[in-house]
Amino acid sequence: MKIAVCVKQVPDSETRINLAAPAAKLDQTGFTRVLNPYDAYAVEEAVRIKEARGGEITAITVGPETVRETLKKDCLAVGCDKAIIINDPLLAGADDAAIADVLCAALKKDNYDLILFGIKAIDDDSGQVGILVAEKLGLPHVSTITKLELGEGTLTAHREIEGGKEIVDCPLPAVLTCQKGLNEPRLPSLPNIMKAGMKPMQIVTCADLGVTPPAALVEIRQYSPPPARGTCRLITGDDAAAAARELARVLNEEAKVI
Amino acid sequence: MPNIAVFIEQRDGAFKKVAWQMISQARKLADANGGEVWGVLLGGDSAEAAAKAGAHGAHKVFAADGSFVTYDSERYGTALAAFCRAQKPDLVLVGATSMGRDLGPTAAAKLGCACISDAVGLAFAGGAWDVRRPVFAGKCFVDVVPKTAPAIVAIRPNAFVAQECGGAAAAVASFDAGQAGVTPKAVVREVVGSAGGRVELTEADIVVSGGRGIKGPENYAMIEELAGALNAAAGASRAVVDAGWVDYSHQVGQTGKTVGPNLYVACGISGAIQHLAGMSSSKCIVAINKDAAAPIFKVADFGIVGDLFEVVPELTKAVRAIRS
Repeated sequence: MKIAVCVKQVPDSETRINLAAPAAKLDQTGFTRVLNPYDAYAVEEAVRIKEARGGEITAITVGPETVRETLKKDCLAVGCDKAIIINDPLLAGADDAAIADVLCAALKKDNYDLILFGIKAIDDDSGQVGILVAEKLGLPHVSTITKLELGEGTLTAHREIEGGKEIVDCPLPAVLTCQKGLNEPRLPSLPNIMKAGMKPMQIVTCADLGVTPPAALVEIRQYSPPPARGTCRLITGDDAAAAARELARVLNEEAKVI
Repeated sequence: MPNIAVFIEQRDGAFKKVAWQMISQARKLADANGGEVWGVLLGGDSAEAAAKAGAHGAHKVFAADGSFVTYDSERYGTALAAFCRAQKPDLVLVGATSMGRDLGPTAAAKLGCACISDAVGLAFAGGAWDVRRPVFAGKCFVDVVPKTAPAIVAIRPNAFVAQECGGAAAAVASFDAGQAGVTPKAVVREVVGSAGGRVELTEADIVVSGGRGIKGPENYAMIEELAGALNAAAGASRAVVDAGWVDYSHQVGQTGKTVGPNLYVACGISGAIQHLAGMSSSKCIVAINKDAAAPIFKVADFGIVGDLFEVVPELTKAVRAIRS
């Protein structure tokens, strides 16, 4: 079984965004960068499939050369076999549709049975690239999966929906986007991180892939800080019951939210 | 004349309220800038949809030919793309729900048009749409302009207020949903609902969440009881989910669900930045925490510094007293 896992390096979820006023660009220097947490579920699922059935896993990313360490530690050292970094100045400012086109070009270089993504990246929170790739490749997809079972040339996945799930049958090849709950990603061991340095890591440009990234369909106008919140009004009382009653009264009569 | 189409999502015949919220906002934009508001319906009772859509300001409802019972991206995506090719709306709004998040990019890829996820603001100025959306789970916002017509925008539930404007039922027209020759490969075999028909986190008007302060899984019932009294959804911090005390589907935060209810009650949650990211757009925030220095109080509107094991059950009682 040949599996591709498309991943992204993102600022850590503890990152603070220091933006005092609206700005055309977001200064991201100095951010600690990690593997997108949702992509870790995709990597782990790929590794579990390989362990159960054999096969080969290729991790693919679009990003600068500095993603090497993340790919090595969080993809190759936990079981991916090789990595492809698509690194090209033409991709500065690329939108979701352009990234999807470029990933498609890389994915077409091989015949993958399964292409896995995280449901979204925690920086732009867009959650579209996996679905766009599926459509552009003419493959079926199941998004937001929390369980996966493979059959012979088919799969059954649980897709999270509001208050429940859909159980979806789908033939291979297919594209899946992975949600928290699918599995518990393993951590890389130190010896495996050392060994991961020996695994092939290829850096390619758009020209190498024979693709010209299309013009962006969406233009970024500006970034702005979230609206400031007022100060907290502390509710007190003689005891917990009195404070709770006063809080309920305030929420009902003043804030009018209950 | 920018015409706005709004996807009226239904599951099992029940319409999602985000549709009426989007129609209300679209009508405001149409009144200011010209153009019409159209509902787009795939399955469900078209008379009921037309009455509700009209009451919220829609001019017309287009109902697809054919049967749409369970969602699949191939048939629904084809239908929405067919509608856009035939009627040429400038903007298509879908709810940022499990269905809309999947349908938007699917249809956009078929049309080669822009798709913008999870928007919370929508304006029309200087002949262009201005779409505001949170990034980094709400740590900042970005304003984006789609460069294509149509453009598909997924609107987060509760971002806009549903307002009835006294309109009559919208006129219903049918459209060819382009289903001939479409045989979806990915097929929903079964839809399983969660027990008890709980209020869903991302759509709830009120959310009550528990954090590490609840000390153990057995105490999450206290959070659920307060949630029950408020007809609220029950959420949790990452610490509680990662400890295995509750299912991941309850997690609010940057690696969980992003919510923006009218009221968010944080119980025993310190307010780590990754949690704040997921709930700081809530209209009113209440914090109950024994640590007066907890960061949650910096975003809260109201707070009680105290032991949640004493405060939360009393608050449940007080709410029940008000509601009875």
